[in-house]
Amino acid sequence: MLALLMRRRGLSALNSVKSLTRYEWARNSVFGLAGLSLLFGLYYGFFRVLSFIVAVELIGSLLMWKLTAMLLLMTLSMVVVSSLLTSMTTLFYSYDLKFLMKAPLSLRAIFLDKSLESAFFASWMIGLVLVPYVLAAMKVLRLGPAFFLAFAFALPPFLLLAASFGIGFTLLLLYLFPSSRTRDVVWVFSSLSMTVMYGLVRFAQPERLIRPDMLKVVAEYLNYLQAPTAPYLPSWWMSQGLRAAAGGHWGEWALQAAALWGSAAAVYAGLVALASRTYFIGYSGAQEGALRRRTHGFSVLPEQRLLGGGRLSALLWKERVAFFRDVKHWSQMLLIVGLVFVYLFSISRLPHNAPEFWSLIAFLNVGTAGFVIAALGLRFTFPAISLEGRSWWVLKASPLSVGQIMRQKFLFSLAPTLAVAATLGWMTTRFIGADRFTTWVSVAALAGVGVVLCGMGVGLGALFPRFNVENIHQIESSLGGFVYMAASLFYIGGTLSILAWPMRMHFLAMMGSPRAWDAPSAWAAAALWAVFSAGAFGATWILGRRALENHED
Amino acid sequence: MIEIEGLVKRYGAHTAVAGLDLKVEPGEIFGFLGPNGAGKTTTVKCITGLLKPTAGRVSVAGFDLATRTLEAKRAMGLVPDEPFVYPKLTGVEYLRFVGELYGAPLEAMRARIPDLLEMFELAPWGGELVESYSHGMRQKLVLAGILLHDPKVLVLDEPMVGLDPKSGRLVKDIFLKLAERGTTIFMCTHVLEIAEKLCDRVGIMIGGRMIACGTVAELEQQAKAKDSDLEGIFLSLTGGSEYSSLLKYL
Repeated sequence: MLALLMRRRGLSALNSVKSLTRYEWARNSVFGLAGLSLLFGLYYGFFRVLSFIVAVELIGSLLMWKLTAMLLLMTLSMVVVSSLLTSMTTLFYSYDLKFLMKAPLSLRAIFLDKSLESAFFASWMIGLVLVPYVLAAMKVLRLGPAFFLAFAFALPPFLLLAASFGIGFTLLLLYLFPSSRTRDVVWVFSSLSMTVMYGLVRFAQPERLIRPDMLKVVAEYLNYLQAPTAPYLPSWWMSQGLRAAAGGHWGEWALQAAALWGSAAAVYAGLVALASRTYFIGYSGAQEGALRRRTHGFSVLPEQRLLGGGRLSALLWKERVAFFRDVKHWSQMLLIVGLVFVYLFSISRLPHNAPEFWSLIAFLNVGTAGFVIAALGLRFTFPAISLEGRSWWVLKASPLSVGQIMRQKFLFSLAPTLAVAATLGWMTTRFIGADRFTTWVSVAALAGVGVVLCGMGVGLGALFPRFNVENIHQIESSLGGFVYMAASLFYIGGTLSILAWPMRMHFLAMMGSPRAWDAPSAWAAAALWAVFSAGAFGATWILGRRALENHED
Repeated sequence: MIEIEGLVKRYGAHTAVAGLDLKVEPGEIFGFLGPNGAGKTTTVKCITGLLKPTAGRVSVAGFDLATRTLEAKRAMGLVPDEPFVYPKLTGVEYLRFVGELYGAPLEAMRARIPDLLEMFELAPWGGELVESYSHGMRQKLVLAGILLHDPKVLVLDEPMVGLDPKSGRLVKDIFLKLAERGTTIFMCTHVLEIAEKLCDRVGIMIGGRMIACGTVAELEQQAKAKDSDLEGIFLSLTGGSEYSSLLKYL
């Protein structure tokens, strides 16, 4: 039975490849190349870091293996959290589960099919990131392909073991609390874990380990470096196996690899046994909707009080109510709060020994903070139209123009985007201690970037709508999402290039140049930026509106 | 009323609707029949502005859909073949939202929404999220939504699917009463019995073309199927009477 289920996966994949159009081939190739470039970038980064670490006298090798163990521990944690989320959706809420549960299939076959799918989707991307690290380590340590093979052999059980923790936890949770409400709790819990984990890693200031002036501190921690990192977890077995393979101690490597494979087999057998008792109870409970009566007072809506009556207020009300009731959005917001805190923390830890560059950094912050705003836009603004989903007909058949719908989406995203832009702009310049001119230019530029990226998000979201998707990630990772990010980065780059003109005059004036300021040129730069921004906003908006008016699903 | 002139809708090389001419008068209940893939849902989507026609003209309540789109939409109420509505709104909130979109006054909604929920036996569920509703409950909610703003034209794509017999009867009575008051009703259905009992006129579409249109008696003559019910007429016109040859596959 499992073979039959796997064959249908193979056939689906094959048919998807066969039915690709030329355009889709080209698009996928572009995505593939972009992914490869990213992996190459990671390889280069890892190579630089590892080269530096290995070159440290006496403790170089220790440091490298400590870093490897920490990286593997992080990978393990990320796969565990990721599998919590993935298994919740795959094991209990997949579209095809109703069909599979009705078919004469054993529960074991369904569980194996769905749990292997969960394990794969929860771990492949995180596992892939390890590849450039291992290749960089090979290059730095001058190791042969046998090392890579040793890594590739040990990787599947390592990832499977990590994913099994998440799958087992989800199984037990749904068994003990068989309700769709449990899914919401898991969403928030997992995101909170991710945020805390991300924050902890950053607040631990790992950069101190590779700064020469901190080496004394590292030396004091030699014992700590030599001690195992979580010795009872598979990440330690994996790192010990890799270390043994690097040293040519193949007996030791085989022992660690056997531990990984043996544990994975045992844990998975345990999972299957657990599933035979718990899976169906959990599945059945998960199908029941959470009932919670809400009352509606038929009073004037808060949005109507703020903006007056009319359809726009009603749309904003619907958006707000639906947005805050979807816990998937809460979990994303938790991650964003974590991201903003980490960003501000990183800025506050910048070395303050070069005051002449503080203002320059504050200006360049427009680029990095702009990138954060673009990433937020990709998650919240760009998918806003597509998230109408299969309810889109309600709006399309109503007496609303597409422009009105887009304006509502824009307004809904604008306030939080501007809040993040102002926080990042203002707090960063305060932390750095930038001068008043730079502060105002940075904050104004970020406010402008916020407005334009919101408009571009809605416009491109309308240009590339996807109403029939299972989850938001399919919208973000679509061609439209890629175009949005590329267009946003182009706009941010353009903004920096244009505003660099008056900033240059300002810096020259600070350095004492007598004729640094040329007011007409400064005004020309401001006007050019305004035109550039209006063009970026207007072009994407108009293209999107036209496309959505003619969209046929 | 609905006026369709020379409506054509193509999807690439495939022609879903190939030149449809039709006029549905005020107070008339028009049944639109046809086998799967005949072009019925495409026609509904063109009438309600969900799709742009490749050629031809559609006007609703006197408003040309191409030039006076919003006025035409304001005069219409749609029940689609799949009643997807916002899962994170409650039934009451969905009705309030629809009422706001169509410009219903707050006082009217305050009085009418509880009545509509009561009428469709949804009152105990009005405060629950739509995601917990069954297919039939969602269908009834969408029906309640279109009655809220008193449209001049109703366009319904399989409105009886998922309804229990009592609700089905209620909906039929509502349609008859609305037609008496002058509301134009355009209804796609596969339930021939309903079409026969409810509709003033019936159109049969096949391969994107209207092959027959008229009262059941007129269709009987066109199909040369004397003393047949609508099912017999339908099968005779659509070539479905040879279905018995398909039984050999059993």
